[in-house]
Amino acid sequence: MSGRTTKENQQMYPDFLNGIRFVDLTWAGAGPFSTKLFSDFGADVIKVESRSRPDPVRIGGPFRNKVAGINRSGYFASRNTGKRSLAMNLKNPKSLATLFELIRKADVVSNNFGPGAMERLGLGYEAVKAIKPDIIYLAMPMYGETGPLANLTGVGMTISAVSGLMWQTGYQGEEPLGPGTHFPDHAANPYHAAFAVIAALRHRRTTGRGLKIDLSQVESTINCMGLPVTEYMATGVERERLGNRSAFHAPHNIFRCAGADSWCAVAVLSDAQWQSLCAVIGETGIATDSTLATAMGRLAQIDRVEAAVSAWTAGREASEVMMTLQAQGVSAGLVASSRYLMEEDAQLAQRHYWQSVDHPEIGESRFTSPPFTVDGERVGLKRPPLLGEHNDDVLQGILGYSPERVQALRAEGVLE
Amino acid sequence: MTAASPRPYSETRILDLTHELGPYCTRLFADLGAEVIRVERPGGNADRSRPPLMPDAARSDIAGIPFAFLNANKKSVTLDATTPSGRAVMHDLIASAQVVVWEPGAGTAISLADILAVPGARVVTSISHFGLTGPYAHFVGCDLVDQALGGIAYLSGEAGRPPLRLAGEQSIFVASLYAAAATALALWHSESHGVGHVIDVSAQEAIAHSLQNAPQAWDLEGHVSMRGGEGIRDATENAFRCKDGHVFLAAPLALTASWTGLLGWMKEEGFDGLQTLLEPEWADRPLRTTAAMKHRFRALFERFVAGRTKAELSAEALRRKLVMAPVSRIADLPADPQLVFRNYFQTLPKSASGRDIAIPGAPYRLSEPLWQLNRAAPGAGEHNAAVFGSSPAPMRRTGA
Repeated sequence: MSGRTTKENQQMYPDFLNGIRFVDLTWAGAGPFSTKLFSDFGADVIKVESRSRPDPVRIGGPFRNKVAGINRSGYFASRNTGKRSLAMNLKNPKSLATLFELIRKADVVSNNFGPGAMERLGLGYEAVKAIKPDIIYLAMPMYGETGPLANLTGVGMTISAVSGLMWQTGYQGEEPLGPGTHFPDHAANPYHAAFAVIAALRHRRTTGRGLKIDLSQVESTINCMGLPVTEYMATGVERERLGNRSAFHAPHNIFRCAGADSWCAVAVLSDAQWQSLCAVIGETGIATDSTLATAMGRLAQIDRVEAAVSAWTAGREASEVMMTLQAQGVSAGLVASSRYLMEEDAQLAQRHYWQSVDHPEIGESRFTSPPFTVDGERVGLKRPPLLGEHNDDVLQGILGYSPERVQALRAEGVLE
Repeated sequence: MTAASPRPYSETRILDLTHELGPYCTRLFADLGAEVIRVERPGGNADRSRPPLMPDAARSDIAGIPFAFLNANKKSVTLDATTPSGRAVMHDLIASAQVVVWEPGAGTAISLADILAVPGARVVTSISHFGLTGPYAHFVGCDLVDQALGGIAYLSGEAGRPPLRLAGEQSIFVASLYAAAATALALWHSESHGVGHVIDVSAQEAIAHSLQNAPQAWDLEGHVSMRGGEGIRDATENAFRCKDGHVFLAAPLALTASWTGLLGWMKEEGFDGLQTLLEPEWADRPLRTTAAMKHRFRALFERFVAGRTKAELSAEALRRKLVMAPVSRIADLPADPQLVFRNYFQTLPKSASGRDIAIPGAPYRLSEPLWQLNRAAPGAGEHNAAVFGSSPAPMRRTGA
């Protein structure tokens, strides 16, 4: 079929972006997760990195058997499938000339440094545009490139904090907690960025002009808080945090089940589902209580409603709770740990969500596929690069450098 | 008008047959110039009145607050897909579209098979809670259940207490974002090669794709990542109470500038808690991730910042290069000095409701004005004449 080479039944290796090249200076979490989409779809993503100042996720692990190593991080591997690695010392003034040559043969230059960092490297938008006028330039600093707080430093959780996500996430009536992860790095920001880059490629195709993309990770994340933000703007009232409850549906919570740290989410989304739930849990008293027939009535007696559900779930396995309620059309799902998702989840297994990729230092390990299928097939992942693995390929193959010249750059400390 | 300059999706017609997980996906395209047409039943689909509602909405079809945010810039047509003529119009609309974004479940006017039966090369994207195949394909999903089965709820909340979902219905946004990126890539290929593609997005998978390094920690080290961050998160990485709310701090030893900046600040202030933080146990990274150290740091730091406001602490963070920022309430966002400076919030063009509502502005800034907010969410069937009138065949068939 067109647009792919198929390795085996369930996987395809799309070449949708064949001919598109990235000079990718992103590092850590959000940036590389964004450019990974392009390498997974056939673009040539050249990750420009450094041995003297390596990508922090190369250092951070987790590592196979907990043995650290610059090429052994699973976290790095999961963010950089299918990319090529060019290891350069960007602080060496001679690096810039080679990088400029590469940029002249590229379509996109991407980074997620703080404001001004690219300019200090000689790689600011104006400098890059001067040598490649139709370049697509992606910058994704935390708070945007301009403004009084542009230089505030942060991590993913900082973005949760200033976007309202942290304030709104917590147990009802208690303090704000926020997501347990650097959530904006793993969803909102990489994919808003990817969507913008594809739009810029289209724009260049139509007009011949490049674009600069300034993605403030805070502004991107606030879009994903669009529902509570718009509610506040429309009503002038900020809803207090509700934990796992809903302002409109009841019961709607996460309930303790039999076994250690075992839980199931149950959400009754209609009055008919409430009757189905009552039938399942055998609580005739609440089933016939007309004051509980509507969501409003159940919300008014939320403790009583949740106690009835809890009493039923407490003695049952979470999977039994889920399967029994789903069989009656009630929304329920056990709370999955990473172990459960990778070893037991029947849905993900059936859909071949986890895929193995071999790696010279990590060995076979498992990764999330892109969370969709294309024409019924999984997008296959190509292995992530070793640090500097493609120095020769890139400089000889793209720039036509002789092996001697590459060797000289290595000797000069341009290549690492 | 800006219409003269082509926008990235100026030539793209997208049929929006979504109602819960998908509307943010199609809005992303509409914001860049795509003609996104909601195809609805007569009177409009049920997602229009999803609560909360506008406090004084005059018309029920545009009363929903989620609807207003998720459907700006789109058009709406209505047809009765239970009649042969309605189905014929639907068929013609699909035939005229480069992209169809579809969501199964209540409110779906047409099956995926019927969409795929319409001739022509186009991208058809399905967005569902669990995907179209597999044993859970027919499960009833919702944001809470998707966050549970996707694995993010397990990672949030406090140790020993129930798992916690993230606020703001994040599964809608995560699923829509992956759907939008995948659809855009497939369309790029479809246009250049004349082939169609079918994308099957699962919200569960999208959530499971956002678990930081939890899958690799299990796969490579046999470690199950837990909420509360016991053994992982540094004692300094948390939200702490200050004078007028909360502030987030991260000053683990790995963020050297933040930790040393914090100690230097305490020294300048003559804070008596500094001596504690200079003790050898605070140089022990694993020890710093324990519950006991978290309690000790919280007591100490909250005493340090008790008299300071979020704004004062932001200024210190900026001055001292600390990873520290206010835990903003939603109500704080309109006055955030950075967002104000960048003119972030945008007012929705007046809809039939006549209300001025500010909504989040562009999620990314482009160096040309290609992202635009031109229209409020449409009334039910507001564009029947405009859409059907532009295409002779449907006009003939509606028989209205």
